[in-house]
Formats: sequence, structure tokens, C-alpha cells
Amino acid sequence: MELAYHFDFSFLNDYGSYYWTGIKKTLEVALLAVLSGLVLGTLVSLLRLSGLWIFRFVGSVFVEIIRGTPLLVQLFLFYYGLPIFLGFDIGIFTAAYLTLTVNSGAYIAEIMRAGIQAVDKGQMEAARSLGMSKGLAMRQIILPQAFKNVLPALGNEFVVVVKESSILSVIGYGELTYQANAIRGATFISLEPMLVSALIYFVLIFTMSKLLGIGERRLNTSD
Amino acid sequence: MIKVTGLKKSFGKANILTGIDAEIAQGEVVVVIGPSGSGKSTFLRCLNLLETPTDGVIEYEGKRLTDRNVNINGLRQSMGMVFQQFNLFPHKTVLQNITLAPIKVQKKSKEEAEKIGLELLRRVGLEDKRDAYPNRLSGGQKQRVAIARALAMRPHVMLFDEPTSALDPEMVGEVLDVMKSLAKEGMTMVIVTHEMGFAREVGDRLFFIDGGQIVEQGAPREIFGNPQHPRTKEFLSKVL
Repeated sequence: MELAYHFDFSFLNDYGSYYWTGIKKTLEVALLAVLSGLVLGTLVSLLRLSGLWIFRFVGSVFVEIIRGTPLLVQLFLFYYGLPIFLGFDIGIFTAAYLTLTVNSGAYIAEIMRAGIQAVDKGQMEAARSLGMSKGLAMRQIILPQAFKNVLPALGNEFVVVVKESSILSVIGYGELTYQANAIRGATFISLEPMLVSALIYFVLIFTMSKLLGIGERRLNTSD
Repeated sequence: MIKVTGLKKSFGKANILTGIDAEIAQGEVVVVIGPSGSGKSTFLRCLNLLETPTDGVIEYEGKRLTDRNVNINGLRQSMGMVFQQFNLFPHKTVLQNITLAPIKVQKKSKEEAEKIGLELLRRVGLEDKRDAYPNRLSGGQKQRVAIARALAMRPHVMLFDEPTSALDPEMVGEVLDVMKSLAKEGMTMVIVTHEMGFAREVGDRLFFIDGGQIVEQGAPREIFGNPQHPRTKEFLSKVL
């Protein structure tokens, strides 16, 4: 059987550099968002585990609102809403970065909360019995172990963020999907530019999974 | 050194401690025995406020631990604690386990903390394990490291919460030996234990706790040889 469709990848000669730009911008925003999402998520998880109900309440409200609304809607709210609220333009990159950070922060908060709760209670007791404050014990004893517990889940979250960053194309952030769309517009080829971007996403994510696996095994030396 | 008055502790509706009065003098080795669920571990954990008492007063070196504004982190530095489950920090090496609190809490220099740490490791016979992670150690070795970790803070009193209960029988001796040598040096110790032979040999005084109260106390030899209270008699007849 022969396909009626004839694949044509000749556009790569002229437009290959678009993909490089896209890859750079995808990785840039995803990496920054996951790193700041990790900080935000850890703080929120501590709120959710606090002894004070008001902190727990604030933490839960944040997580539930972010998890209960679509990423695309959040993106529009940040991109169009924040400038109105602040009174000045925040730019495409900032809106894209903030949206992804806040979004992944909520999911990472839940990951970290589970990770912290999975650390044996005796660890906190031992640390406190040595005169450590709760904060010091958290930083020195609990969080490092919690972080190790959740590393596979964090890696997974990074993969999700890389893929979800494709949504940022709708506000004009020039990541991979945006570039593939631009090529489609310029060449009137509908399928192949997206096929190439799909392949690039796959290679990026597959490589990252492998790297994370190596990192995990390294961390497991103390097990 | 430690004075406990009217100590009560409830978890929800369960009254674990129903009124404990006790005094522990400097240099004294107090062993606490009793049936499981009697509240002996809870009693010990109240002494450094790992459990917050529901009622009563605990004084330690003249300070009321049970006051709201007491600096508990400061006081805990001089109260070492050893746990049944060791609770070593699995992501730190043996030496790091020992030096962490002296460096971070007492603000000692790394060199000084390591010097103290190595000295203590030598003392518990584990100098060669300084760079090992806890998962490479046997139970007895873990507990000896845990004792060294507590001693590194130069505590005035050591609290032991069933330190040998999680050990294989052949490792109990090595841990008890370390504790015996501590007792000989005059360390104030409160030890919750099921090791009756050890209690008899090392204890200056023995508390028999049942139903959340100290039912009987006195010199171990006397209590083991001639228990007065019927519940003490019953308990000892089962364990001896």
C-alpha cells in the first residue's frame, strides 16, 4: 500500500535554526520554572504541614486553586491580568515563567508534602533531642531525605513542565511549539514541522529521564 | 537535678501518665521498668519535652521545663537521648551524624567537632567506621554511634529509651558495656529497659511504673529481691 501523502522535510534547510531557538527557549523556561517551582513548592508544603491552621489554610487554598484551574486559563490570567493589576507590562517571558512556576509549584508542594511525611518521625525527634530548632532540623535532616524520597516524582514533574510549556506558544513565547507553528505558517506544510518538534520533545525528555536515573542512583549511595 | 511533680500525660482520652512524682539526683543512674504500655517511655520522653505534658511540673537544673517561655532547644542540648530505633541520620556519615549538632547548634568549628567526634568514636570502638553510612552498620554499632552522637553535645544527663530492645541478642552486650562505662564515670542516666540483669547491676535506683504511675521505687537489689507491691511482684515473676 502506498500513502497518497508525500513527506517533505526540505524545509529543514531553511528553517532548522528555528528549532534550535525553540529548544533553547523551551529548556530555559522549563528549567527555571521547575527550580523556582521547587522553592515555591517546598515553602507551600511547609505551610501545609504547619502547626498553625492559618498557614495550612493558605497553603491548601493555593494548591487547590492552581490544581483546580487549567494551565491555559492561568496563563491568560497572568499574561492579561497581572499587567492590569500591577499597572505595568510584564512581558511575555515573565508571564510564561511565572505561570509555569506557580503551576508546577502547586504540584511540587504536594510531592514534597508526601516526601516529608514519608521521613520517619524519629528523625525529627532525634534532631530536636540534640537541641536543633525545628527549622534547622527541617533543613539539615528532614528536607534532604524528603528530597531524595521524591526525586523520581520531581523528575517526572520536570518532564511534565517541559511538555506543558508548549502551551506558552499561545501568548507568543518562542518555544519549540511556537517555532514549529511559525514554520507551518511560512511554508504551508502542515504535518512535518510538528513531526520534527514531536521528535525533538521525545529526544529531550528521553535524555532527561536517563540523566535523572543516573542522578538517583548516585543519591542512593547512602541506602 | 531533675524534679518531676504531678506529671500527667493523655493522648486523647487515653491517660498514659496519671501522676508521677520523682526526683533524680546528679550522678544517679535510674532504671525504669514496667509492663509495655505502662507509660515508662512516655515518662522518659516528657523529661526532654518530646512529649508535652498535659499537667504537672518538670524542673531541670533549677529551670521549669514546663513553663511556656522556656528555651527548650537550649536545655535539650544538655540532655542527651538515645532511642530504641537509633534514629541515626541516614544521609550523613557516622562522623557527620556526631558532629552535626555541635557544629550547627553549639557553633563549634568543624575541626573541634571532629576531634570530639573521633574521640567518642574511639571510645565506643567504632573509629574505623567514621566515613561509613549508617546503613552499613549493624544494630549494635548503630546504637553505639547514637550514644556517641548524644555525648558529643557534652550532656549533663542521658536519657535511654529501650536502647537494646531493637537489637539482635548478640549485640546487646556491646551497647550495655558502653552504658556501663558511662555510669561508672558518673553520668546521670535515666534508662528505660527490659534488661533486668543490667538494671540490677548498674542502677542506683529503680522505678517500677505501671498504669501511668511509679508503683514502687528503691534500690534495684531490694526490689528484685523483695518486691513490696503486688503488681511489682506479678511483673517480676513474669520477667525474671
